[in-house]
Amino acid sequence: MHLWQATVPFCLLASAALPAAAASAWGFTDATVAVQPKGAGINGGVKEELSSSKPLANPVSFAGADTLRVTLTTQEGSSAKRPHQAFLLLKDNQSGLDISYPFTVKENGKSRVELTQKELPLQFLTLPGPVDARILIGGFGNSEAYDHSVFKLSIDRDPNIPIPTTEAPRYGKLPEIHHIFNNDPSNPPIVLTLAFVGAVIAALPVLAGLWLFLGANVNHLPTALKSAPLPHAVFLASLAAFEGIFFLYYTSWNLFQILPAAAAVGAVAFVSGSRALGEVQGRRFAGLR
Amino acid sequence: MRWCLALLLFCFLAAVNALSSSGSRLLVVLDDSTEKSLYSTLWSDLEGRGYDLAFESPKSDSLSLFQHGERAYDHLLILPPKSKGLGPNLTPKNILDFLDKDGNIILALSGRASTSSAVSSLLLEVDIHLANDRSAVVVDHFNYDTVSAAEKHDVLLLNRPGPLRSDIKAFFDGEGVIALPRVAPQTLGNTSPLVSPILRAPETAYAYNPKEEMPSADDIEATGSQLSIVSAMQSRSSARFTILGSVEALEDQWFSATVKTVGGKKTPTANREFVKQLTAWTFKETGVLKVNNIEHHLATDGEIAAEDLNPKIYRIKNETFFSIEMSEYDYDKWVPFEVPAGDELQLEFTMLSPFHRLNLQPTGRTETGVIYSTQFVTPDQHGIFSFRVNYKRPFLTNVEEKHEVTVRHFAHDEYPRSWAISGGWVWIAGLWSVIAGFLAFVVVWLYSAPVADKNKKTQ
Repeated sequence: MHLWQATVPFCLLASAALPAAAASAWGFTDATVAVQPKGAGINGGVKEELSSSKPLANPVSFAGADTLRVTLTTQEGSSAKRPHQAFLLLKDNQSGLDISYPFTVKENGKSRVELTQKELPLQFLTLPGPVDARILIGGFGNSEAYDHSVFKLSIDRDPNIPIPTTEAPRYGKLPEIHHIFNNDPSNPPIVLTLAFVGAVIAALPVLAGLWLFLGANVNHLPTALKSAPLPHAVFLASLAAFEGIFFLYYTSWNLFQILPAAAAVGAVAFVSGSRALGEVQGRRFAGLR
Repeated sequence: MRWCLALLLFCFLAAVNALSSSGSRLLVVLDDSTEKSLYSTLWSDLEGRGYDLAFESPKSDSLSLFQHGERAYDHLLILPPKSKGLGPNLTPKNILDFLDKDGNIILALSGRASTSSAVSSLLLEVDIHLANDRSAVVVDHFNYDTVSAAEKHDVLLLNRPGPLRSDIKAFFDGEGVIALPRVAPQTLGNTSPLVSPILRAPETAYAYNPKEEMPSADDIEATGSQLSIVSAMQSRSSARFTILGSVEALEDQWFSATVKTVGGKKTPTANREFVKQLTAWTFKETGVLKVNNIEHHLATDGEIAAEDLNPKIYRIKNETFFSIEMSEYDYDKWVPFEVPAGDELQLEFTMLSPFHRLNLQPTGRTETGVIYSTQFVTPDQHGIFSFRVNYKRPFLTNVEEKHEVTVRHFAHDEYPRSWAISGGWVWIAGLWSVIAGFLAFVVVWLYSAPVADKNKKTQ
């Protein structure tokens, strides 16, 4: 008891005087990483020694059906000991994703962890580059914990096998949407339109030519104007006025504007038309038509 | 007399201004008054910010969150009780009802004793999970306080958290380290956008049950940043529920402690500032949004007349202008709300589904708001549309604005006239040539003399 009480201050003194020597550090030895393809024997596949001070130069390739196995012996100082924490930590430095796989540790420090791609979170399967594989060994007390990158793990997968989507609902901005409008109605080429307009207008001279060929004339106009000048002039003018009213309706007037105008012109056309047609009848009775 | 009244009014306004945006009645549930003195700095800080604190023991019969069916308090701070459970007045259902009625809650947990199953089932309701045995503690052999936890490594020293994502405003950032003794970790469900971590454990941390000597590999459920130390749930009605893993972080002792990281220097803790940010956020002093004004109208160059503002009806293919003014509450006043870099405030023009979803651009500022606006052409589809601003982001109150308008077709006199359509010229020419032909026919019929050889035929 007395001896114990005496050694405690001494130890404290010693640890204060020699801080580097007093705090031992966690570490490991005899470490290997092995990737064993499916169906290969116990010694099949790739196996590499790991160094606790320097990571492997080349990334370890880890394909779809492979089993990744890391074995090591944990040490505190230089003696093998079971730590409280012994993890294989996979970390993607770009996205910040991290996940740890605890080693199964025996009392003598012998540790192993086995991993297949099925045990990886889906997010790790879509990463573009290799992830950092770190080993964490730590325990209570003042021994310095160990955390170093030991190799890079390149997670290879068959691109033909689709990965289930990992999209979880999160609030954030959504992609923009711009409505796609229907096309505006389009016209045929103007040349084509003008050609057909020309053909339609040309029908009038053709009609006039045919009438002239068949002997149409206006020889009775002086006779008609002599016997009933006013009815003929007013009747023709009222017919032209009708067409004028229709033109105004087409361009600017509405129905309530054209109806009174059409009624007025219609009454004029009725009265003057019956007189003018009476004159035409007179010419027929006279045998002129 | 009058200046006396004015002074009183001023004092009243000043007191009102220094408050949370959603009320000042704060109920603190803690075991007994001896425990109360452990947190005296926190109480004085909260009172200094204008809260009326009421203290109740969970066992107290007079404790009730509701009075006459309404909330009796605006905010609730629950410290973990020593006894099992929170008692008959604070059942998970009562607490969720309080949350449903827009009450805000901070629930502190402790890794010292196991958490009661009532709290665990309450947290399950909001998709936050505790460790299976409910008595886990986070340890980290790399980020612990070498002064107070040299042996057990259970006082975590963490930097204050930055933004959760690059497009989210950081409400809890700042200088300094936070000391979090004996943290009860939480893990968050992945399927709910309402829960988000405020402070996550570092990647080297893990949780274990201190009653067990050595954790076996199977016992470790979650590690690293999957463990959440402080997490938050903001309901659809914007009520806030914060879970703080370490109640001891609120104690006076840790507000003014000096800590030392592994291989670092001695520094004072930033717990007081962090707890201020945490309580301010939960009790709606920060991260509260308000829409001051919404305007929409036809796009014009000049000033818009009052009667043309916010019309009920638009036509298809109308050039339309939309603007919204937003403010954010910042401790005691409304300030202009700036959308964080990388994020966008978006306008949707929807009929069942959005036809347009456009980013609104800041185009103006007022004293308390930023005006965001955009201009777009209404789609060529008639119907009942709505201008919708649905801005839901972690740590900000939800903004959901919906303004319905009718979008009509072209009226009969709004189409282009037929002569303006070149394809119609053929038909117009045909019509007028028929009219001309009719007039010519009338003249010929009235005045044509019979042809001479026809007479010969009849004779």
